[in-house]
Amino acid sequence: MKRQSCMALILAFGLVFIGGLSVVQADEAIDQLVNDANESIAIAAAEVEEARIAIENGKQLMTQIPTDSELIGEVKQMLFEVSKEWELAINALEGAKQGASKIVSASNEEIARDYKLLATVNSGVALAGAKVVQTGLLFVDAVANNKTESLDIIRMAMQDSLAATSQVRFNYERVKALIAEKYSK
Amino acid sequence: MKKQQFIKKVTLISIVTIMTTLLQAQAVNMAEASGTLAGIAVMAVQAKANLANAASSGDIDAIADAIKRADAVDSAMASAQEAYSKMERASAGNDEDAATAAADDLEVARQNAFDALNGEVPEPTPQSKHDQWKEGQKNTGGGPGRAYDPPNIYDVPWQTEGLRGFYQGLFGNFWGASSHGGGHQYHGGHEYDATPE
Repeated sequence: MKRQSCMALILAFGLVFIGGLSVVQADEAIDQLVNDANESIAIAAAEVEEARIAIENGKQLMTQIPTDSELIGEVKQMLFEVSKEWELAINALEGAKQGASKIVSASNEEIARDYKLLATVNSGVALAGAKVVQTGLLFVDAVANNKTESLDIIRMAMQDSLAATSQVRFNYERVKALIAEKYSK
Repeated sequence: MKKQQFIKKVTLISIVTIMTTLLQAQAVNMAEASGTLAGIAVMAVQAKANLANAASSGDIDAIADAIKRADAVDSAMASAQEAYSKMERASAGNDEDAATAAADDLEVARQNAFDALNGEVPEPTPQSKHDQWKEGQKNTGGGPGRAYDPPNIYDVPWQTEGLRGFYQGLFGNFWGASSHGGGHQYHGGHEYDATPE
């Protein structure tokens, strides 16, 4: 009888120990998710800040371009694209921060992982948008400073960037749809 | 009897729980794969921005390097998209091995894109001696130690119409008699069906 009680006690201790270990591991995993999300947000935020500085400089550069320049139409088109990307980048960065803030309060690790994924991909959208803004303003800089030899490459880089950015956004929408689908079942 | 019913119910609930978990895991994998694809596209944007920066600086070497890196990232992006499509098809067909293999390919593509952007641009894998030998056997037109490919009869070095017609006729008859062209015969540039119908 005593032997049975002893075995039951050991088993109970074992279960409590394993339970405690699982809780510690889950906490560590959540911490890692928060760190990863915050790291991606920090990188995106730095690029968004660079883009903001580029926009500030761009205002000055615009005054250097003669109004009768044959490239003024293209510059305006470039600025139109830049303004769209800027707005998207700002919104995405905000979305990333919101996603990251929900990781800790998620009811389980699975949901926390999904919030982390949303935060990371949103950071990617923000980062890509900020880079496109910077590339667009390099075109303005090249026109303003007569760097005509670099115009073709920057133009091509901008077109490719816009195509790649649309891929980023397409995949972000796909991530959102797949996660939403998972929880609607 | 009641015990048996209880066991059946427990088994059913277990199966439903396991299936739900598996389906959720699958959805997570695809969502994560989409996230990886988005990440590679972000690297493509970064590579183009680096190229634009290099162009703005006017440094020829920097431009050449940036072009090389941007191309390598684009190539990785193409591989990643291919891997994602494979993963989608495998998931739809419940082929877990193929889905895992495609997920591995996607990870390789992500690593290649990362390397192309930040470190060494992946060079094409050097050919082994066996591969070099195999490559040497292709379309060589013969020669010592090399495979013999029949010459292109439409590119006869003699520029006379007669000889060209003769060789083309020979080829047409040969083709018509073969299993590929069976049923068709070549008669001076006109083809006839094997049967009057």
